[in-house]
Amino acid sequence: MRRALRLLPRVAGFALDAVLAYRLRSAFVILAVALGIAALTVIVTSIDGANRKALEIVDMFGHDAVFLLGGDIESRAVGKRTLTLTWDDARTIRQSIPGAYLAVPMRAKSNITARFGSRNFDLPVVVGTTEGYAQVWNWPLSEGRDFTAEDVAHGAKVGLIGDTVAQELFGDRSPVGQIVFLGSLPVQIVGRLSYRGLSGGGGSVDDRIAIPLTTLAQRFNLDRKYFRAIRVKFHNPEFMDAHVENLRSLLRHLHRIAPDQPDDFTILTADQILQFLAMLRGGLVAFLGLTAGGAILVGGFVLANLFSISVAERTTEIGLRKALGAATWAITAQILAEAAMLTLAGALLGMALGMGLGQALSRLGILEIQFSMKVFAIAVASALAIAAIFGLRPARHAAGLDPVQALRRSEG
Amino acid sequence: MAGSLLIELDRVEKTYVQAGVDTRVLRGVSLAVGRGEFVALQGPSGSGKSTLLHILGLLERPTAGRYLLSGEDVSGFADDRLSELRNRHFGFVFQSFYLIPYASALENVLLPGLYGPESRRSLEHRAQELLARVGLADRASFKPSQLSGGQQQRVAIARALINQPAVIFADEPTGQLDSATSAEIMQLLADICTQGASIVMVTHDEETAAFAQRRIRILDGRILDNGGPGPAEG
Repeated sequence: MRRALRLLPRVAGFALDAVLAYRLRSAFVILAVALGIAALTVIVTSIDGANRKALEIVDMFGHDAVFLLGGDIESRAVGKRTLTLTWDDARTIRQSIPGAYLAVPMRAKSNITARFGSRNFDLPVVVGTTEGYAQVWNWPLSEGRDFTAEDVAHGAKVGLIGDTVAQELFGDRSPVGQIVFLGSLPVQIVGRLSYRGLSGGGGSVDDRIAIPLTTLAQRFNLDRKYFRAIRVKFHNPEFMDAHVENLRSLLRHLHRIAPDQPDDFTILTADQILQFLAMLRGGLVAFLGLTAGGAILVGGFVLANLFSISVAERTTEIGLRKALGAATWAITAQILAEAAMLTLAGALLGMALGMGLGQALSRLGILEIQFSMKVFAIAVASALAIAAIFGLRPARHAAGLDPVQALRRSEG
Repeated sequence: MAGSLLIELDRVEKTYVQAGVDTRVLRGVSLAVGRGEFVALQGPSGSGKSTLLHILGLLERPTAGRYLLSGEDVSGFADDRLSELRNRHFGFVFQSFYLIPYASALENVLLPGLYGPESRRSLEHRAQELLARVGLADRASFKPSQLSGGQQQRVAIARALINQPAVIFADEPTGQLDSATSAEIMQLLADICTQGASIVMVTHDEETAAFAQRRIRILDGRILDNGGPGPAEG
């Protein structure tokens, strides 16, 4: 045992000499492994990114709130109404559901251009809502104020501006008090929503302007009775299941839904959003996992083949080492060490490639990528596994060579 | 017995089985090699002299018979134990030199030492000395491809000496060299022998064999003439 420990660094030295001597073999193995590890790096970092994003989304959504959507999103029949929620619903929820202290209606209008002076900004959405908007989304205002009940009652032409929109239209100046045109509608900005930096769906949440729901309905000719969604906030989030059940019973009653009929609304909770995101992520993992697995398998086969060829070519050297006193394990260890050095080099190169690729993908907004020690650990572990699994056969073959046979063969 | 007799073979048989056909290469060879002896194994090709050398060098196992190393029967030792014995007590010189092509002369000389227990520092020191002794002190960093055949064989001889072996086995050591170079190499081996190591050499060349003190003739797997002292009942 002691002898083996003493020999190990020497065996590693022999392996390094061989790795440097057989450069073409080394380059091919490194490249093949690097491609697999690059794929793996992208998958691991993107899963991490997706997880982080899911947490951010849920954090913003809040564990003490639900999002009530008109229409049943699970079994939405063609032509079925999605505008089923009314002002009465919102009011009754706030008054009748135990623990519900905020119920803020919302409706969105998409693709409106905001204009200030000579500057334009294409808004993905203009949100119509009521007082309590900032509070119900846990979204503090960096300046100004939220809507008031009067703003909503009178259909006031006032607005809250998203941080990105404010940056684009006003630069470093304060937007509060300024008039922004939404299409032809002049709106006075009364508050600025703080920066959220969260993107999803059609762009960043900071790319928006909110105005009173009454104003939105009147000025953009939308239905005045119904709207799309209500955000409800509760005390005691630990009873969320009960809150949801109460909400469902109440709405079914208000909407006069017969017991055998499905809901005409959908209640989204933080847990459901997490589940949905997990499902999306599952698809991503399956796709990237297959790709990475395939790439790594290919890398492993390349290694196994090149090493088998290499052992055949180096029969003389291996026979000589055995004749001169190398133990079986020392030969096995040397070949495995050669494999491990190459796969580790491949892992480093692959991580660099993967990070580069990940950067490109996250710049395109497809994936969010961040490097972590976990990625490093997984890449190194996979590299060692490839070396061990695919290097073992050639290594054992080499170690099993009979020195006399090996030397005689080379003499021809 | 262990004092002067280093290796003893007792009625050694070697039979190869190939494609169901038995080939008896050695037929009851008994032989002793003493300390400091220079022995040449001679015989026509197919006589079994190379197989005998391999068995003496613990590179092959006899099919039957006993092998005593300094009086100890090592016939039943496991492969790795035999590797260790070869490493510690034997040196090898081959017809085709068998240097590692990508390693320098010095690294080639070091090779057997690195599989042994000695520290790298003292091994390197001795390797330098050995290269100087074979006249290649200034070629230590050369690769084998940068050396002539004679120089490569000197590197191989230095390599055989690195672990200060009791016996050096040489298989046609001059087989690929011209006659002037051959004479130099043989003189080198003869000098080594006078400094205490035994040498067992296979050759079919009479001039080369002339350097040996004792010439053993082999024919058809039997010792024809064991050339001197030692048990030779055959």
